[in-house]
Amino acid sequence: MNQSNEQVGVFICHCGGNISDTVDIKSLKQAINTSNTIVFDHEYLCSNLGQNLIKKNIARCSLKKVVIGACTPAKHEKLFKKCVDDAGLNPAMLEVANIREQCSWAHSDDIDAVTQKAISLVRGKVRRVQNAKPLEPIQIPINPSALVIGGGIAGIDAALNLANNGVHTYLVERNATIGGNSAKIGKIFSPEKLEEECAMCSLSPLMNEVGLHPNITLMSCSEVENVSGSAGNFKVRVRKKARYVNDNCMACGRCSNVCPVFVENDFNCGVKDKKAISLSFAQAVPQIYSIDSEKCINLTGGTCSRCQDVCKVGAIDFDQKDEIVELNVGTIIAATGFDEFDASRKPQYGYGLFANVVTQMELARIFGVNGPTEGKLACPSNLSKPQRIVMIQCVGSRDEKPTGNRYCSRYCCMAALKHASLVKKKYPDVEVTICYIDMRAFGLYENYYRAAQDLGVSFVRGRPAEVIEKPDKSLVVKVEDTLTQKVREIPADLVVLSVAMEASTGTRQIAQTLNVTLGEDGFIKEKHSKLKPVDTSRDGIFVCGTAQSPKDITDTIAQSGLAAARTCAFISGGSITLDPEIARVDLSLCDGCGECLKCPFDAISMNDHGNVAINPLVCNGCGYCTVLCDQKAISIAGYTEEQIHAEIEGVLEKGDLLAFLSRNIAYATADNIGSSAATYPANTKIIRVPTTTIVTQSMIEQAFGAGARAVLMVEEPTDDPIGESVYSLALDNFQKLKEELGDPGGRIHFKKAYIPNYRGLASTLTTLSQEEVGE
Amino acid sequence: MKTIEHIPDQGILLFKTCMVTNEYPGIESSSTYAFDRLGVDYFVSDEQSCCTGLGFYFDLFDQLSTTAIAARNFAIAKKKGYPNITAMCSTCYAINKKACSLLNGNEEVRTKINSIFRQAGLDDLVYEQNSLDEVDNFYHVVEIFLSKAKRIGALNTIDLSGVRVAAHHACHYYKIHYDDVIGNPENPQLIDTIARSCGADVVEWYEDRTLTCGAGFSQRHINRETSLKVTHAKLESLKNAGVDLVLHMCPNCQIQYDRYQPVIEKEFGTKYDLVHMHISQFVALALGANPDKVCGFRTHSVPLDDFLNRLK
Repeated sequence: MNQSNEQVGVFICHCGGNISDTVDIKSLKQAINTSNTIVFDHEYLCSNLGQNLIKKNIARCSLKKVVIGACTPAKHEKLFKKCVDDAGLNPAMLEVANIREQCSWAHSDDIDAVTQKAISLVRGKVRRVQNAKPLEPIQIPINPSALVIGGGIAGIDAALNLANNGVHTYLVERNATIGGNSAKIGKIFSPEKLEEECAMCSLSPLMNEVGLHPNITLMSCSEVENVSGSAGNFKVRVRKKARYVNDNCMACGRCSNVCPVFVENDFNCGVKDKKAISLSFAQAVPQIYSIDSEKCINLTGGTCSRCQDVCKVGAIDFDQKDEIVELNVGTIIAATGFDEFDASRKPQYGYGLFANVVTQMELARIFGVNGPTEGKLACPSNLSKPQRIVMIQCVGSRDEKPTGNRYCSRYCCMAALKHASLVKKKYPDVEVTICYIDMRAFGLYENYYRAAQDLGVSFVRGRPAEVIEKPDKSLVVKVEDTLTQKVREIPADLVVLSVAMEASTGTRQIAQTLNVTLGEDGFIKEKHSKLKPVDTSRDGIFVCGTAQSPKDITDTIAQSGLAAARTCAFISGGSITLDPEIARVDLSLCDGCGECLKCPFDAISMNDHGNVAINPLVCNGCGYCTVLCDQKAISIAGYTEEQIHAEIEGVLEKGDLLAFLSRNIAYATADNIGSSAATYPANTKIIRVPTTTIVTQSMIEQAFGAGARAVLMVEEPTDDPIGESVYSLALDNFQKLKEELGDPGGRIHFKKAYIPNYRGLASTLTTLSQEEVGE
Repeated sequence: MKTIEHIPDQGILLFKTCMVTNEYPGIESSSTYAFDRLGVDYFVSDEQSCCTGLGFYFDLFDQLSTTAIAARNFAIAKKKGYPNITAMCSTCYAINKKACSLLNGNEEVRTKINSIFRQAGLDDLVYEQNSLDEVDNFYHVVEIFLSKAKRIGALNTIDLSGVRVAAHHACHYYKIHYDDVIGNPENPQLIDTIARSCGADVVEWYEDRTLTCGAGFSQRHINRETSLKVTHAKLESLKNAGVDLVLHMCPNCQIQYDRYQPVIEKEFGTKYDLVHMHISQFVALALGANPDKVCGFRTHSVPLDDFLNRLK
């Protein structure tokens, strides 16, 4: 082994007692202090003082390598790497021993046992760093174009902001037109004027601007299928779905006039008033018709070509096929919006059972001059004018039952007030009652709330129990008025449900495609609710609008502008530094067998010279290629076999359980055990690996040779983007190792990690670390 | 959340229920009949005691004694090797589930109960934390039947076409532990699915579907008027929906409807042409059980003779 005699500086953090209360720092320092180490300790190494101590001593003692014993590397490794970098060392010359989450917090053993574990963890890292080689950072220029996913008001505004700042922007929209939900709502509320304004009058010019902007490539009927690469250089695969009408379309409408098939109109909430070939609505952008392929007679195998016959520009193309387009962009904004809560999940309100129970969005369409009743207020059952309207708030919001959502949807109090005001202004004789839990007219909206009261809207504080239908189709809302504590039965001709905003199916799908974290409510989670409200868990990917949380248009626009600004700032950085811990090939050892081309992520290829080449933008350093290479020509920088052997030698003591944990989910799950105050015995030693595919026979032999009781490999789950491809390969590797080693006494184990189930991992670690060693 | 794939058919302790034994013994004989026919591995223990839910909801027993008695019953289930405690009564289900959750999650309660056991020399009853799981070890017979609904439908011997059936899912099943209801707890469909698989014409929704039966434990006696008003309202809704048969999953609801229907008819001056049975009785009947000897319909207050004749 290439152990140098250079001095290793070891810095131990007390973490204000989080470590020093359960680890005897004095004994730890003594045990680590050898001829080629110098040991320091500090109350908080992550503080400025702590970092200065590290920098000062690197200079004073001419340290070439550093080990830090502190919290999990997931927390401060980046900070400490920058710290040693500032002091003139290559960041690869730093190792962090996790003596908090995986030591002081995770064991209920006595102080001697915990201290002994801390000693072995630090010793392992000292051995490891002695085998480290400097890694040069990989710098890649940032692609200066952006992708915005979702063409609702958030995506439109973000795309226009980017385009106006000179950024070439692709706007991908799944539907035939941009506009989203904002196009449907008819009127918007304004706190200053106490008036309702025309939504389309504000939206339509923006939509046209998108369609005409030289910096925007609009892709409608398109869906993002796959995203690879990393911040600064994403490769995006987009499916452009066939719309069966080509760009020749002049939107004259002859085709729609002759089409014999009526279909459900999504724009009018499912009313059957649309033709199988149509424009979504008059102001649609692009102004290109499209055919509903599931309803069109021709496309479902029948004989009909009426639209083709009347089209004068030859725009109808029944043979059009889906098209796959590859885009290269530097950054991505997810603006995939919301879905309405499905009110039929609460049958007590009769939605879907009774014709005259509608949602606020459906009422908005009834009010729309381009809606099913051309703007006339009418009950769906018989198109008569309702005399009594009751609105029910918080349907699916502020709801502890698993049917609904716990959060407040933020827009619905104002939407109800808007519609109540519209009714009262246009039809003063119609009674409007709003049943609410709390009216939340935050900020300046309070004025609007008061104005609605002045118009004569009634308010009943109580969440209705049930809506029932009388034989004449009129309705009764049963509610307890909690202010008078009386049960009331309010008669109504029309009941309007203010349903929750939920993360749209598109949002959930795109989060998976982009590999960004969702919050527990299903919306894309921001990095920091106050300081980084539009950054996601992945660099270079931003979020805005209702994809991030429920909000109204005002808040959406504030966020989409910010997302555009953050995107511009990221692009103007010019270049990006990539994680150097990826696959490296030693061409002097490579015999060109091509086995490594089996890379599940397609990161490895043969270049024009017949040499193996690794794409640093695609390689995530999983390590699978290292087991494929018989020549040992490929290794993961920072995770070479020498380094791992050295760490095993350092950490392992007789009777230990040695656990190899993949570096993302599996390692984080182990950290969660400590931070959730669950425990497992201190004779469990964890080694972080890119994925367990890099574990070799000789590593396990080394472990058993040193007296390990058992070896466990914990792999990323299959719903993780790396685990998705690697899990089965890791399982194969485990089975192969078991076979090769004969697995004496069933001592080699494999487990799938799952972050919420840290208790499961703790119990596995506990069982295996206490198991009798069989022969 | 519980899902249908997780419903076991092995290691079932069919939990005896006071209101079944004393009021409708046919529910238990129907359950065992149906389990036998469906190949469910179950056990009925004579060592088991009442869940004490009636006493608890009458404010006669406190939570600690109730939990201690549950711990005793849990020890029997584990000792016999039938750890999946399955109730015919929604109150037994909810009481046992809550007791298990307390024993697992509340150290003070567990320690106190265990020390009482030890002092009394009942060491074999001591409850070890997490030895049962409040979700994975507690079921209601309706869940077992739901998991076998297709098979029940295939073995069905009665012609239910044109029979209007409505479900009354019991409050203590879907309103107390609503996170552990299979499907939507605001629109439970367990009974409906089983009835539909036997070809019944199931009423999807009726007014007051989620309203209580009106029993309210002590309310039935101390607030008799309110209690009967609620039951009357429900019977009216069921009548308006043209229901012939109401299916229950709780003997207490069944008492409220079946025993009090004649009382309400008299006191409210009305007439109802609807009959009641427990889901176990329904499943047993569908599988060909004898209506008297197995289902025990003779113990009902609302006679089922006309209804049963209609099925033939």
